Amino acid sequence: MNPLQTTLLGVNLKNPVIAASGTFGFGAEYLQFFDPSMLGGISSKGLTLNGSQGNEGVRIWETPSGMLNSIGLENPGVRRFIAEEYPKMRAISAAMLVNLGGHSIEDYLEGAELLNGVDLDILELNISCPNVKSGGMAFGMDEDLAAEVVSRVKSLSRHPLLVKLTPNAPNIVSLALACEDAGADGLSLVNTFLGMAIDIGQKKAVFRNVNAGLSGPAILPIALSMVHRVAKAVKIPVVGLGGIMTWRDALSFLMAGACAVQVGTASFADPLAMPQIIQGLRLYCQSEGLKNIAEIVGAV
Amino acid sequence: MALILSNECVGERVFLMKLQGLRAAPGQFYMLRPQERLSAPLLGRPISVFDADEEGLSFLYHMVGQGTALLAAKRAGEEVQAIGPFGNGFRFADRDLSVIGGGIGIAPLYYLLKEWKRRFPARKTEAFLGFSLESFMVSAFEDVSGRCQVNIGGFVTEDAPLAPGPLHVACGPLPMLRAAQKKAEGNGAELDLSLEARMACGAGACLGCSCATVAGNRRVCKDGPVFSAREVLL
Repeated sequence: MNPLQTTLLGVNLKNPVIAASGTFGFGAEYLQFFDPSMLGGISSKGLTLNGSQGNEGVRIWETPSGMLNSIGLENPGVRRFIAEEYPKMRAISAAMLVNLGGHSIEDYLEGAELLNGVDLDILELNISCPNVKSGGMAFGMDEDLAAEVVSRVKSLSRHPLLVKLTPNAPNIVSLALACEDAGADGLSLVNTFLGMAIDIGQKKAVFRNVNAGLSGPAILPIALSMVHRVAKAVKIPVVGLGGIMTWRDALSFLMAGACAVQVGTASFADPLAMPQIIQGLRLYCQSEGLKNIAEIVGAV
Repeated sequence: MALILSNECVGERVFLMKLQGLRAAPGQFYMLRPQERLSAPLLGRPISVFDADEEGLSFLYHMVGQGTALLAAKRAGEEVQAIGPFGNGFRFADRDLSVIGGGIGIAPLYYLLKEWKRRFPARKTEAFLGFSLESFMVSAFEDVSGRCQVNIGGFVTEDAPLAPGPLHVACGPLPMLRAAQKKAEGNGAELDLSLEARMACGAGACLGCSCATVAGNRRVCKDGPVFSAREVLL
């Protein structure tokens, strides 16, 4: 028996390690380093209905133990994704999460409707992108707005619905409860924290949008605390993410109550981060005599 | 991790690091980090391959920030994390070659010239190298190009004829690339550009290095870093 075998929203995962949206393309970018079918799942680059060229200017900025990004959801759009990327992504035998963002409720609904036409495993609703001017994170900052988009997408989508939350919400536990009440099947948290950088030579913000999204190990303790509080408050499954670099980090999120984790920035620093995390979790189960990793979920 | 065979200062804040046992084609790059992940800096730095031999690869880099300063402090016998090779590299064709390098942008051109000379010994090669204050690595370029002209403090794109006939390849700061692109277009010359960009992954996943082209956005790391001057919108 594979001690890492788990399920998320009724979907079988080989292991609880999922590539985070926006850090793994559509699954093919790291083929040079490892077979992505070994992952528990892959969450696609965030899609918007009509696609986007993304943001102008600087998009990446390293910070102490982290990085700011302002990509701005550069993506091919839902229709082109379905035509060009979906068949290749589906051929990978990891669970397939499709991340869907939007600028309006109508965008989300039309995108979700189009995605009803394909055989993905989990729809990850992105109400947390900090880098787009309209919509995006705005839907995840306000509990009523979040509940509305979640309930309307849920009533229309045939796929299990994972809602990705922003840590910038005034109260992430209330937001999580609002999404649960609105029909979310699960929650993933956290997306990036709003941050900024200033070019002191130019006396200007580094990013055109001024604010960008902070990720990496710098945010781990805050993300872990949020996952812990949310997992205690809701009954639906929680996927934890935020600065996971090692199997110890991943284990911390599982002990905090996440039933699976997502890994993002670590893959940028080291393409083999996820295979190493999976191996570390496997060895942990062996050395602790766990029949299944689920035994430690929520241990803290 | 890759073993450092040497790491020498070869100019003002310019270093040449040789790493054991790596392979790459001319124009490709690696993501180099002074230590394994978890410690700062978090991300690798995209560094061009300067040269290759049976022992490994050499990387020419400019010490500009904390990441490259930590690389510069490394000594032979220590290790760095080297992930790659990334990118498509330069194209080869049996014709004359003229390269234009500006500052640290000369880095990928040496290996290109050397390989061109080996593959097409009958072809003419020339190098136009521009530096703002002080030149570096010029004698190495003289060894692998038929002609090598250096410009300090001026505009190297004024020296280079960028005329039809040879394949032209340019690498350097954005204003230099723009000037070369404009001149080549006016002359009807064929020019390839090797672009530099901030990037987190090098592998095509983060989309931090997107550049605009006539065919939409392309990734400098995965679709480049070498592009035809006709396609990129600088």
